[in-house]
Amino acid sequence: MKYFFILTSFAFLFSCRRTFEAPIPDLAWDNFNSLSAVRLQNTQGQKMEGIYSFSDGSLDFGTEAAVKWSYTAIGSDTTYHLSFFCQKDVSYFICEGKRVDSSILLNGYWRRMIGTETGRVRLTITQQNGGAKILSALPLASTDNIVITGVYGDGEAVPDQPIQLQKMRPLFRATPFEIIAHRGGGRTSDLLPASENSVEIIRMASRFGATGVEIDVRMTSDGVPILYHDGTLNERLIQKNGMIGPIENYSYAQLSALVRLIKGERIPTLREALNAVVYNTPLRYVWLDTKYVGSLQKVRDLQVEFLQKATAIGRSVTITIGLPDRDAFESFKKLPNYQNIPSVNELTREEVREVNSPIWAPRFTLGLQNAEVAAVHAEGRKVFVWTLDIPASIQEYLTNGQFDGILSNYPSAVAYYYYAKQ
Amino acid sequence: MQNNKLFLLFVLLSLGMASTAQETDEFTSRPTGRGEYSLVAYASGGFGYFPSDKGTPAYLQPVKTKWNTVGTLRIMWHTDRLLKAGIETGYITFYSYKLRDSAGRTGKIALNATPILLEFSMSLKNRFNIFAGTGLYILNTKLDYDGKVNSNKLSSGWMLAASYIYPIGKKVGLGTEVKWLYATETSNGSVCGQIQLVWRFLKW
Repeated sequence: MKYFFILTSFAFLFSCRRTFEAPIPDLAWDNFNSLSAVRLQNTQGQKMEGIYSFSDGSLDFGTEAAVKWSYTAIGSDTTYHLSFFCQKDVSYFICEGKRVDSSILLNGYWRRMIGTETGRVRLTITQQNGGAKILSALPLASTDNIVITGVYGDGEAVPDQPIQLQKMRPLFRATPFEIIAHRGGGRTSDLLPASENSVEIIRMASRFGATGVEIDVRMTSDGVPILYHDGTLNERLIQKNGMIGPIENYSYAQLSALVRLIKGERIPTLREALNAVVYNTPLRYVWLDTKYVGSLQKVRDLQVEFLQKATAIGRSVTITIGLPDRDAFESFKKLPNYQNIPSVNELTREEVREVNSPIWAPRFTLGLQNAEVAAVHAEGRKVFVWTLDIPASIQEYLTNGQFDGILSNYPSAVAYYYYAKQ
Repeated sequence: MQNNKLFLLFVLLSLGMASTAQETDEFTSRPTGRGEYSLVAYASGGFGYFPSDKGTPAYLQPVKTKWNTVGTLRIMWHTDRLLKAGIETGYITFYSYKLRDSAGRTGKIALNATPILLEFSMSLKNRFNIFAGTGLYILNTKLDYDGKVNSNKLSSGWMLAASYIYPIGKKVGLGTEVKWLYATETSNGSVCGQIQLVWRFLKW
């Protein structure tokens, strides 16, 4: 018995921990990278948006996909992406597009968020299948057909499994709706290409289907608002470096120089994050989830500054200060003229009225609350629900609820169910 | 220098206690008799080695110190059974390193821990014992870069150890112990080699 104990102890001591990864595969494709291939323009990409039906590939991706065009602008360089938000298992493709003669090539990767599956996708829209119409200067007619064909594969394998999609109808946009990505675009634990609450994930959020982001705001020891979710430095969020304990113990200079997020990014300041939203993305909504106790004045100052900057470049962006608890609520009430400051309020409807929050944000576990939501609508306010991740629940809340937005770790699932509505 | 003084003090204390233990019976970790109970203190000092290469990112151009001093104190309740129970605490530096940032500024980080562990022990042979325990580690970062920071966090953790105790009296033994101290928050631990003074300070 005692020798069994010793052997078991050693087995435990030297056992390995399994790590999970879902890296973006190598996207090299000779045809796509040839000198004759030219990047698609914004107007061409927008013509491909719509709800498509799978005739090949439905076993892995379901019956339909909502196809959406988005951009990332870094300086004078703008990159466009075509995202396919699929009906099955929170799966999506993210592709870049180029034209070769009168055909369109779409090159990218697919990912299933339930698990770690990923792989390459190579798609084509031939001249006869709608390529010529998309590339022409004329708008698409409702009768114009688009058929996308191609292949996908697992991991780094050469893609050889067939895909075919046909455009069925335009995206649903009858009612304004916000698809809000949690933690700037998604959680680090979901093995996305960038860390949560980083500038890099904010720049990717619209590719995942988001129209807005929720980001977590904390304060350094020297009073710099930064993005970080947890109360302490830990290996869930940062690369191991010997620094532990409350993030508020460290100055911004220390965090910036010494700490890297899991994917290697620096912890961003709130200023850097808002700068990315306004200047790099098409995102139109920001939920500043205040995770610290103390004055909100610096957050308010940045809110004012970046609302003005967005207006100055002709962008309509809403930035709201989150009020998740009584501490934040009381700090908010100390701001001058607080009843005119845009906020998103997770407390009761009475507290929403008290500080005149334009958005009420109840948690999803409270249910659809249609009567309460209608009453808040009657006051001229919006209602966002958080945090919905289960596809069946997302569908239920979109079909039977009256919410104006959903906060989710899986914005691609919300995007599919919203745009697929009829 | 300070570590050397501590080690010297430990050796002198061991010899002093050994010289006072003139009884003819030898110290043993095994049950001494039916219905006999005692409390035994284990004071240990030595070095810990942090085997992992993680925890010192390359972008900080680290100069890592993997060998660090470790001191622990354990109190075990010896009963008339083979299994014993007790608690252990102490202080260990898991690792420390000097760093240089991209601008050339230098600094230092040390990750220390104070374990507070509930332990169980069994004597396999007359002088050979094994220990296993679990509990809390009070982790502590000492940062010296652009100002000094002292930051703490609680972590769960565990330990495993094996010791050989050579009796130098009825109440006292001198031993060596190999020990693995592991804090889950750091996802790693140190293997420690210690010299140990064992003292049965209360018996009933």
